[in-house]
Amino acid sequence: MDALIYTAMSGAERALRGQQVHANNLANMDTPGFRANLELATATKLPGYGYDDRHMTQLQANAVTTRQGTLKATGRELDVSISGNGFFAVQGPTGEAYTRAGAITLDADGTMTVNGMPILGEGGNPITLPPYRKIDIGQDGTISILGQGTTAEMQIIDKLKLVKAEASELTKNESGLLVARDGQPLQVDNTVQVRAGHLEGSNVSAIEEMVATMSLNRTFEIQMKLFKASDDMTTAGNRLVSA
Amino acid sequence: MNPAMWISKTGVQAQDAKLQAIANNLANANTVGFKKDRVVFEDLFYSVEQQPGTQRADNNTLTPTGVQLGNGTQLVGTQKVFTDGTTQITGNKYDVAVIGNGFLQVRRPNGEPGFTRAGQLGVDQNGVLVNAQGLPLVPQITIPTNATNITIAENGVVSVNVPGNVAPTQVGQLTLTSFINPTGLLALGDNLFQETQSSGAPTEGNPGDAQFGKLKQGALEGSNVQVVEEMVDMIAAQRTYEMNTKVLTAADNMLQYLSQAAR
Repeated sequence: MDALIYTAMSGAERALRGQQVHANNLANMDTPGFRANLELATATKLPGYGYDDRHMTQLQANAVTTRQGTLKATGRELDVSISGNGFFAVQGPTGEAYTRAGAITLDADGTMTVNGMPILGEGGNPITLPPYRKIDIGQDGTISILGQGTTAEMQIIDKLKLVKAEASELTKNESGLLVARDGQPLQVDNTVQVRAGHLEGSNVSAIEEMVATMSLNRTFEIQMKLFKASDDMTTAGNRLVSA
Repeated sequence: MNPAMWISKTGVQAQDAKLQAIANNLANANTVGFKKDRVVFEDLFYSVEQQPGTQRADNNTLTPTGVQLGNGTQLVGTQKVFTDGTTQITGNKYDVAVIGNGFLQVRRPNGEPGFTRAGQLGVDQNGVLVNAQGLPLVPQITIPTNATNITIAENGVVSVNVPGNVAPTQVGQLTLTSFINPTGLLALGDNLFQETQSSGAPTEGNPGDAQFGKLKQGALEGSNVQVVEEMVDMIAAQRTYEMNTKVLTAADNMLQYLSQAAR
């Protein structure tokens, strides 16, 4: 069988699976703190008879963009967003993980959680709040509350663990949380700034995703044309032999 | 079949759910004591098709990145947002607004406690202080039939004036109940909430003490729905819905090209 059809197949396969990445990004356009996944293709050399006659394409998709998402003012005291580069640390199912989602809720014991996972304090431990009247999360992530009794003074409880990492150092795990590529916990970074009362949306760019979708759609169509061309060529060859 | 179709389906479904929450919020823009709902999305699990760092057969290098494909989005829940609503001054002496933390407690017909922020109170035929649905407040307070005036103090003390007595008579004490995680309360409708395992146990106390807010007579807490915000959310939801259906069409087109090419 002609090798062309397999080269076209690898291109079509890549377009089909690349579409999944963009579909997933668009489906998560409304997920707070979601970081868009990147999809790219690499060429894989296939040695031919004496020369490299084919380059198959291969999909690579486990990188994320760390561009800032849109901020939305919610006015809720426990909604926090990070300005600029930085991440919150949470206790994931398989160790420390990182997220930009900052819609903090409390569980029945008063432990601060994000999407059901405890958010970590500076010491690397979950934060538990006593009953309070007012809560304030400062720019540096310091959590202070106006608690029991009659004092009008705010009382510092803990500080959120805030870390900084480049996009290249991070990857997503199976549950969609960001983890360090080398598996080591990231160090606390004091320069990360948070803003309470705001929530960061997803950083998916609708335009980019729609354009990528259209372009992949056409790429796939071209592969199908090649598919057909290769088929026609084989048919022509068959005719030649049978004649 | 093209998996992108199923992924887009989750996106379309999520926006559908969001629109429902927005519609409910907007419908309750004028409901006293209403707390708006917020739908929370999370990305679905990822399928790892190729681990990063796998040996590549061709030239003994390691793959710098692997292949991880997401499966779409999911609705993890709706959250009640407990920000304060706007306070409206009504001048009605049976209206009470809770300024700050805490809920008024009522006894539901089945005997279970219900918690509410709506302070449109009234009295029933026996003089018992009830909420707008006619459920008695806990602790129960009875207003004497000959009372001429009723005063509810910031700290919850209810006193009445009766003819022939210059000093007001104290008839009861309104208490407030707080939860560590009010978002975890179950909304029952009728402006009522119910305790759940995730809300934590109720703590009762007098208004103004510890973590509890104060009471204001002659005022009501309006709904905390911000109409403009809901409208913007609605537009965004509609467009996101639209874009997800576009990907659905694109995925369908790809399958069409395939079926046309293969004969």
